[in-house]
Amino acid sequence: MNPWDIIIGNPVLNVLIALSHGLGGSFGLAIIALTIIVRLITWPLNKRQLNSTKALQEMQPKIQELQKKYGKNQQKLQQEMMRLYKEAGVNPLGCLWPMLVQFPIWIALYQAIMRALATTPENLLDLAQRLYSWGIVNQAIPLSSRFLELDLGQTASANGGLGMLLAIIVGGTMWVQQKMTQAPAVDPRQESTSRMMTLMMPVMFGLLTFSFAAGLGLYWATSNIIGIITQYFITGGWGNLKFQSPFQRASAKGK
Amino acid sequence: MKQPKILFFVIIALLPLVLVSCSLLGGAPVSGGWAGTALHDGIIYVGTRDGRVVAINASSREQQWSWPDTDTSRSLIYTTPIVDGDLVYVGTYSGQVYALTIDRGSERWVYPRTGSMGAIVGNPVIANETMYVSSSDGRVYALDTIYGDLRWKSEPLADKLWTSPVVVGDTLYVSTLDGHIYDLSLETGQSLGWSFKAEAGFASSPVVYEDHIYVGSFDRYLYAIEIGNNGSMWKFPQEEPAGNWFWASPIVNEGIVYAASLDGRLYGINATTGGEMWSYTTKDQKDEPSPIVSSPVLVDNLLIVVNKSGTVYVFDLGAEFGDEVVPSKTIPIGADVRSSFYAQDGLAYVRDENNKDNQLYVVDIDKGEVSWTFNLTEKEE
Repeated sequence: MNPWDIIIGNPVLNVLIALSHGLGGSFGLAIIALTIIVRLITWPLNKRQLNSTKALQEMQPKIQELQKKYGKNQQKLQQEMMRLYKEAGVNPLGCLWPMLVQFPIWIALYQAIMRALATTPENLLDLAQRLYSWGIVNQAIPLSSRFLELDLGQTASANGGLGMLLAIIVGGTMWVQQKMTQAPAVDPRQESTSRMMTLMMPVMFGLLTFSFAAGLGLYWATSNIIGIITQYFITGGWGNLKFQSPFQRASAKGK
Repeated sequence: MKQPKILFFVIIALLPLVLVSCSLLGGAPVSGGWAGTALHDGIIYVGTRDGRVVAINASSREQQWSWPDTDTSRSLIYTTPIVDGDLVYVGTYSGQVYALTIDRGSERWVYPRTGSMGAIVGNPVIANETMYVSSSDGRVYALDTIYGDLRWKSEPLADKLWTSPVVVGDTLYVSTLDGHIYDLSLETGQSLGWSFKAEAGFASSPVVYEDHIYVGSFDRYLYAIEIGNNGSMWKFPQEEPAGNWFWASPIVNEGIVYAASLDGRLYGINATTGGEMWSYTTKDQKDEPSPIVSSPVLVDNLLIVVNKSGTVYVFDLGAEFGDEVVPSKTIPIGADVRSSFYAQDGLAYVRDENNKDNQLYVVDIDKGEVSWTFNLTEKEE
């Protein structure tokens, strides 16, 4: 057994199966419950990110002042913006860290979903070697992969219309969450990168949902929805979802 | 500088997901399964990891035939070929049962003729010119062995059936992956009204002995069930559960149940009381317990067990055992063994599931050594 499995893989797998048993054998509810647990564990990081976003959004008037003052000197503008961020104790890239921290959990969850559903005899035999001796874990086997007419062990594409809906929900909620947490851009180039990211990530995750087990899509969708709700209450609103950046406004005025 | 930095983070973060995705989407030739070995009239029949059935002459040690010819019709095989009359039968993971001629390996019939009946994992059984096979669609099928016609199929009993049915008189008993045992009429496939529910699922096929069913479960217990009764007669171990699941089917002989577990132990259990008589822990090359997946085999007075790390243990049941049992022979063959093996006339026929070696081992029980091996890798024409 490798260190990854001992430290992350097997604990996630066993907790997921135990949750499934505790929730009446519903593997889908177990994934949702695990998502909430993961969100609670990563809450300190998420809170820091949300506060950082809120601070960036509150700095908008000062940023606009700087843009007016140094609009023609991009280098100076960037220097002044960075100084402003430093003074406020804000890191504009800080929003990426919570996401990076979640990647090992996503991978462990993906492995846990595939291992727990054990679609082949080899998978089932492999599962036996990974389970703890807890009675509830062993009694829960085999798990039912059905949840709301979705087969959580199959790819979203193999789940037909419902799978497509799941992929759209994952992409859509990710877009909303990203727009809400997006830090104001420092310059037009960053603005365009930020806009590209806001589009690229939801599309990519929508496509990944299509290619991976629907259980992982369920995790992403739940995680995004929780993210949207917490973001709404922490920052007190929809953030950049309803707010245009100074560059968008400038280009809109120019038309 | 920000744009490349952000993209770098995103690419690094998404790389594992993309790599896994690519590996999942890529196609691959058939590789896997754990088909067992059978011996009939000096010919060994064995399924291979690349989805073939091979007939090997045990005397000349040469391949007689291999089926199928084309890669496209191959599928994983988890069942042990069965010989009956002039046909050898095999069930595949793609959900077909094939009847092949024993002399050339030509297809006599296939059921269903088109489509799939659901993946077949448990060994089919034959009684009265009828084959009974459980399927991953949750049903038991009864097929005519001569023409491959469907005689009946049961109602769905569970999501999946991965075990062999057992025929006793005019009744068929089958265990399900979700932990039930049902009795079905051998004539019609209709339920006869009795069932048993365990606390966890069964990958172990039931064994019937003196009106009792003995079967191992995922909850780490072996159940003894009185047929017709809804409760279990006993569960083994009587206190704490075993170290892992009971996957292999037990053997019952002269009032003793011999049960192997994925915790690597072989248990001798009093069939009436469920009390432990003795146990023996099988080991791997690192002296760690090694799971036992394939069912033990009893030949004359010798109980043969092969663990997953490929050590053959022979127990002489005629010898006096105290609290501790000692094997009369321990023969390490270094194979990866999960499939059923066959033993007769002092020889055990064991298939290796290791992709690299891919051997059939013929083990001389008396001498305690490998007598000869046969490479199951397909020969280039």
